[in-house]
Amino acid sequence: MSSFGSPSDSLEQALIEEYSIVERPEKKKKLGLLFWICVGWIGLNVIGAVFASVLPLQNPLYENFSAINLGPSLHHLFGTDDLGRDIFARVTYGARVSIAVGTGAMVIGFGIGAPLGMLAAHRRGRFDAILTTVMYVLLAFPAIIATIAVLSFWTPRSLLKIILVIGIASVPLVYRVIRTATLNVATKDYIIAAKVQGATDRRILMKELLPNIAPVGISFLLIGVATVVTLEGALAFLGLSVNPPTPSWGNMINEARTVLAMNPWLVLFPSAALCFFLLCLNFIGDRLRSHFDVTEVKL
Amino acid sequence: MSEKLLVVKDLSTTFATAGGPLPAVGGVSFDLGENETIGIVGESGSGKTVLSRTIMGLQPRTNVTVTGSAQIDGFEVVGASENEKRKIWGTEVAMIFQDPMTSLNPVMRIGKQIDESLRVRLGMSKADAKARAIELLELVGIPSPTERYSAYPGQLSGGMRQRVVIAIALACSPKLLMADEPTTGLDVTIQAQILNLLDELRGRLKMSVILVTHDLGVVATRTSRIIVMYAGRIVETGTTRDVFYHHRMPYTRALLESSPKVSNHSHTRLITIPGRPPNLLKLSDGCSFAPRCKFATDQCHLVRPELQPSVEPGHSFACWNPLPVNQNEATT
Amino acid sequence: MLRYVAKRLVLLFGIVFVISVGSFYLIHLLPGNPATVILGFGASPEAKAALYRQLGLAHPIYLQYFTWISNVVRGNLGTSFISQTSVAGTIRAALPIDLEIIVLSQILAFATAIPAAMRSAKRPDGPVDRLLGASSFTLLSIPPFIIIVLMVLFISIKLGVPHTGPSSYVSFASDPLGNLASLSLPSITLAIGSFVVYYRILRSDLISTLQEEFITMARSKGLSQRRIMWSHAFRPSSVALLGAAGVNIGGLLAAGFVVQYLLAIPGLGYTLITAINMSDFLLVQGIVLTVSVGVVVINFLFDFIINMVDPRISRE
Repeated sequence: MSSFGSPSDSLEQALIEEYSIVERPEKKKKLGLLFWICVGWIGLNVIGAVFASVLPLQNPLYENFSAINLGPSLHHLFGTDDLGRDIFARVTYGARVSIAVGTGAMVIGFGIGAPLGMLAAHRRGRFDAILTTVMYVLLAFPAIIATIAVLSFWTPRSLLKIILVIGIASVPLVYRVIRTATLNVATKDYIIAAKVQGATDRRILMKELLPNIAPVGISFLLIGVATVVTLEGALAFLGLSVNPPTPSWGNMINEARTVLAMNPWLVLFPSAALCFFLLCLNFIGDRLRSHFDVTEVKL
Repeated sequence: MSEKLLVVKDLSTTFATAGGPLPAVGGVSFDLGENETIGIVGESGSGKTVLSRTIMGLQPRTNVTVTGSAQIDGFEVVGASENEKRKIWGTEVAMIFQDPMTSLNPVMRIGKQIDESLRVRLGMSKADAKARAIELLELVGIPSPTERYSAYPGQLSGGMRQRVVIAIALACSPKLLMADEPTTGLDVTIQAQILNLLDELRGRLKMSVILVTHDLGVVATRTSRIIVMYAGRIVETGTTRDVFYHHRMPYTRALLESSPKVSNHSHTRLITIPGRPPNLLKLSDGCSFAPRCKFATDQCHLVRPELQPSVEPGHSFACWNPLPVNQNEATT
Repeated sequence: MLRYVAKRLVLLFGIVFVISVGSFYLIHLLPGNPATVILGFGASPEAKAALYRQLGLAHPIYLQYFTWISNVVRGNLGTSFISQTSVAGTIRAALPIDLEIIVLSQILAFATAIPAAMRSAKRPDGPVDRLLGASSFTLLSIPPFIIIVLMVLFISIKLGVPHTGPSSYVSFASDPLGNLASLSLPSITLAIGSFVVYYRILRSDLISTLQEEFITMARSKGLSQRRIMWSHAFRPSSVALLGAAGVNIGGLLAAGFVVQYLLAIPGLGYTLITAINMSDFLLVQGIVLTVSVGVVVINFLFDFIINMVDPRISRE
């Protein structure tokens, strides 16, 4: 009983064209409850990360050797690690690194890549041709390997350097996405009309193009943050991110793997924190993308 | 007339759309004898494409309801499963699609697209299938068929592609050939070539043909009978001669007047049909052509006319205020 | 076609040049005198002199690059000052493990993603499609280093499957089956990541291909659904899939690093991380160069495969 017949089968397409008068009622697009739950979760993470030092949490660095490798309890919600540190506090503080790297790198990536992409798509010509070729060459270079390479040589590592390296590595990708999105809009009649009427570049870029590509930008930004957070996690797992004892989700998982058999809680909580965070970001990004009906953008 | 190859009875196709049920074809009945060509004519939106695909059972399988009956050589298409229909597709009935630019697989060599039917449906060996495919290419008038055999569709012109589509349709020698606007996507000079080819092949291969078109000029000399459709229903049917010269339905006349004729003086203004085809989602109970018809009365707007026989045998029309008999010869 | 190839080749050389300059310059990112950083403060003057000669540090930087690249082209990536072994030799020993993991993972990923995508595309928004869609979306959000940790936890530790735990790598020469077992978790981990990408791309392309008129035409020939799917819909739908596979290789290597690191499988990734921790910078440089050039060349090859699959591309 399987079939190829989707509602928009070729015949119905033909039908819609044949009966061009058939009005398709505008589908009321709703973001849905799940979307708002995800937004709430991300919000909670951000609040936890920002106010971690004010919140009634235990000291994430305090080692209590009389309470090591404890399971979850009322006193230690997520239990303790092999040095007796409170996992709940460490997971909350760990969000700081992920969120700082995620947003910081994307601020750099968008700060450089987005204006260049918009300008190239708006100006076209030689400026666009040269810049695009350069970006495509850089894009062919595997960014993850470049990041690992630079971070392993550029010692001592710090949060700022990590943000900088990942941020710069993301520029070509942001450039490509924004340039494509801008090109789609820039060739529309109303932009051409604005150009013909002699609107200034600045005006066209800020008032006409920016609002139109903003939806693409925002959904890509969220998915980009998720990608960077994953990357930071992998770097931390390899010991190439912030140095212990500063907690990050990635280095917590890395530390926990040595006592995996003894204390599985240790790996489960930071893993779950990271996965839920990524899932929510991806979901929000994906939902926004389909909400704004963007199909061009692929990460 | 001998055995009927195709018998269609009260066939209806309704699509479930976001805006409600859309009756694309409603209550169509006709039949077709062996080695006969029938023309289905109507504006775009008249349901002729849907009708031809429904007869073949090629409608999408979701969100569509088909009722009535369509029997091809005794095989009931309506209600048959995809697996059952597959047995008659290609061998009993085949279709020539409208646009040769989209109906050929762009990444498959044309030889393989013909071979495939022969090998899968007729169980031919690879070598036999290739020989037969080249024969078919030659039959549809493709020069140097052996070289063309391994060409991709993108390397051929539109006319050549349509010839390939015809070759594919003919591969398993179907008894019934459905040609859905076979020349719409082609240049005018190529159109006549393709139509003549179809006509010639029908005679040679003893097929029946359903020629679906919006262009009355196409069907004028090539069909024995014509069905005129409007808003998914038959509004007039009869022999080609009756439809051209003794038509009773105002829509048929409008359609004839709106198509250019060689016999017209140059600079003759073509008469267009006012208004637009109706929205099938919002059909009234009356005659669907009434809003565009200059003879329409209150009755036309309220009650739909059924097909009724005219004076000539086999000629019928659906109209409350038909054109008088034998008054039309003057106008055409 | 020839023009297309020529254009791509020029681009390839450009990219390889950029990569070589980048890899070369890595040494100069080190704070302080490279010789001191590489050899440590306690190094003998002879060793420093040897390093100076090897890297040509006395010359201006473009000459240093020239010396370096002419050695690299001849397959000489230098000698590690930590282990006193040839960098190229170390890489040659580790590389086959990475290739084996990648090949295994790609076989797994394609063998699952293609049928799953076809199943989904048959009935978009049907129950199977929704289930596959939701699970692939969830998998998309689980980083490979978490997948591998969880698999080690449940498969190697809880179930005790032999050869799958950390530091239990078995070479192919000594025990082929054990080798397969010891690379199974890494391969599955990488396969999961690839599956998600391939499934999503192929599904959406198949759905749009199945709406094409030539599919209806194939149906009207009386072909079976399976045949239509494989011989008519799959090939025109696989261009983006192949493109993604090409791009994915870079990510696979990086994910492979993480997995090897956890399980102490002596592939390039494990070697790289160990080299980083031991400040064996020449080895790091060699691995980075090898991997980057490898990724770019693989991308380049995929471009050709795509061209062969869809003859429309080079004609455009």
